Amino acid sequence: MTPPFSRILVANRGEIALRIIRAAHELGMQAVAVYSDADATAAHVRAADAAVRLGPAAPADSYLRIDAVVAAALESGAEAVHPGYGFLSERAAFAQAVADAGLVFVGPSPTAIAALGDKLAARRTARAVGVPHVPGTLEPAPVDRPDQLEGVLAAAEAVGFPLLVKAAAGGGGRGMRRVVAADELPAALIAGSREAAAAFGDGSVYLEREIMPARHIEVQLLGDATGQVIALGERDCSTQRRHQKLIEEAPAPGLSEIERRRLHAMAVRLGVAAGLQNAATVEFLYDRDGNFWFLEVNTRLQVEHPVTELVAGLDIVAEQFRLAGGAPLSQGALAAAERAARPTSHAIEVRISAEDPARVFAPAPGRITRWAMPAGPGVRVDTAVEVGDRIPAEYDPLICKLIVHAADRPAALRRLRRALDETEIGGIQTTLPFHRAMLGEPGFRDASGLSTTWVDAHWDGPASRARAVRVAALAAGLAELGETAAGGPGGTPPRTGQDDARHASGPPSRDGSVPAWRAAGRALAADRWPR
Amino acid sequence: MIAGPTREAGDPAVPDGPIDPGAVRVGVGGPSRLEGDPAITLSPAPDPATRLPQDGAASPALPLVDGVATAVSLERFGDVRARLTEPAADGSAGRVVRTDVLFGPIRIDRARGTRLREVVVDGWRIDVELESERRAILRERARRGAGTASLGGPVEIRAIIPGRVVAVSVAVGDSVEAGQQVLVVEAMKMQNELRAPREGSVERIGVAVGDTIEVGDLLIVIH
Repeated sequence: MTPPFSRILVANRGEIALRIIRAAHELGMQAVAVYSDADATAAHVRAADAAVRLGPAAPADSYLRIDAVVAAALESGAEAVHPGYGFLSERAAFAQAVADAGLVFVGPSPTAIAALGDKLAARRTARAVGVPHVPGTLEPAPVDRPDQLEGVLAAAEAVGFPLLVKAAAGGGGRGMRRVVAADELPAALIAGSREAAAAFGDGSVYLEREIMPARHIEVQLLGDATGQVIALGERDCSTQRRHQKLIEEAPAPGLSEIERRRLHAMAVRLGVAAGLQNAATVEFLYDRDGNFWFLEVNTRLQVEHPVTELVAGLDIVAEQFRLAGGAPLSQGALAAAERAARPTSHAIEVRISAEDPARVFAPAPGRITRWAMPAGPGVRVDTAVEVGDRIPAEYDPLICKLIVHAADRPAALRRLRRALDETEIGGIQTTLPFHRAMLGEPGFRDASGLSTTWVDAHWDGPASRARAVRVAALAAGLAELGETAAGGPGGTPPRTGQDDARHASGPPSRDGSVPAWRAAGRALAADRWPR
Repeated sequence: MIAGPTREAGDPAVPDGPIDPGAVRVGVGGPSRLEGDPAITLSPAPDPATRLPQDGAASPALPLVDGVATAVSLERFGDVRARLTEPAADGSAGRVVRTDVLFGPIRIDRARGTRLREVVVDGWRIDVELESERRAILRERARRGAGTASLGGPVEIRAIIPGRVVAVSVAVGDSVEAGQQVLVVEAMKMQNELRAPREGSVERIGVAVGDTIEVGDLLIVIH
């Protein structure tokens, strides 16, 4: 099979850049990496066939520089550019710049990115094709306009309290404010709009009903140039903290085949209406009454795509390259879509980040001294980090995705427990203890507790750490007692680093005198290595 | 939030009697320390017959933890891997909990003259600080007798994560109150405000706006 391109450029870094380079190589294409000064020796740079420096570490000086990335692609002879996730992946201007340079953007078209990136436009499109969106307004709310206050309050009453003020131009919780009563609304609009303007360059905000508790369920779409759009399956990403996903799984537990068909059909209908090509994900909220409410569309490859890959039996990045090359949806993709409503296996991904779960997940950068990842059947590790790597402070703290695949959810949970037990990380604090603890929580194990508010209610970082502190102190103390005893009571200073247990030849006696066999040993040593 | 203060742990009561020369004070040091982390004193079991952990075999002795004989033991599997066995928390006879731990190499904390060792338990990275009990007590007695004007001498505030200094809010000689903002450091897309841990006056500022700081760098000294 001819590769869709001979050479492509990856406009990203870290684990996703390595992921994309792997797919490119397996398709027989050459890969060009781009890097900032902080990533000059990173794994994704070494894996590529060529690499171009973008600038200093700060994203604004490197990975976010549209001109530099496009120039890198042109000078390196790349024919296509894959944006990964984050950075420029959902900037319509970047997709357009790539196209204007005569290159192929591996993702949806600039118009689709712009149309679906505006959440209000996406909601209007959903309504137009009969996909129920989260109840709320469809036009930007007037901000700081006392003359229009009555209208806004009326709209708010129609939505119902508590409601959310949300940014139209972006997500991740930025620009969002929760409003419990009408008198809080004007201030919330101003505050949300200001934050949205700072984060996205667009202060447009709208009102949405708060659906609580809810599960976050999303559908993976692929679309080709003929206008055909298919759904590969859905994912449940409810385990979140402050709108950041921590654990994702496929399929969403507890849905019936009919519910899956209905969900997938809604997502496809929306994709077709928006002229979606390549890969995108449609997000929904699933409430306690079993209703799906459309939330937004992400016009890019998502972090958690591996769980869909494993259950569907597909390489989504490879499919993206083929679609970008102009091919129609592949046989493999079409077959996966046929099976999507009746999944026959289960996959779970945990995100391991350089964050401290006992310090409200504050970033915990540093240098990795130990990095032993699990292996064995059904275990996949997506990471670009190695022993000795220093985690740069400038980028997202996600350093590793640990994914397991098994026949059903209980088997996947057992496999995940095994994989987490095998994971050894030293030198930096990560979210690993959080994931280990979550596996023990009944609400997660039987999926009854899945909801976007669950983590804050169930995770007590300091308490979990306190137990570890006690074990660590006892263990280190006992090891120290062993080492100092081997060196002699109060005599020879303890050796550093080495485990003396192998050399220990017996305990010193209580009165401090050294038994004859030990003195003999030392004498022997002195004879062999006189100082 | 980003700086570690000098260790002013809740110290165990200083005993009046003789100190077991083999006893070890074990606490939490380094960047992983959190306010309120405890320190314990470990002593070898009084019976010297079988006391040393050997490769692959559990130590059958009962060491003293804060003076109490406790059925904890350590098995080592080489330099890095070990397993701690302790009685089950519910106290039921015969039930134990085994926890795997990972040891890092021993480093020296030059400022305090103690030994630090990274221990990873359940994914938690703890910098355990080790010191002979005798030395720990001497150090505490010296500090207590050190004078009344300042609470325990100057406080050195060191960075516990790397980042970039974006604001310095005080000058040398300024009086500060407990909780007053003294520095702002940007790390991982977040602005971190550094606050004075107690009142005093700024004796030294080790950084300037724009500086890149590493873990352990001296930021501010307050006395």
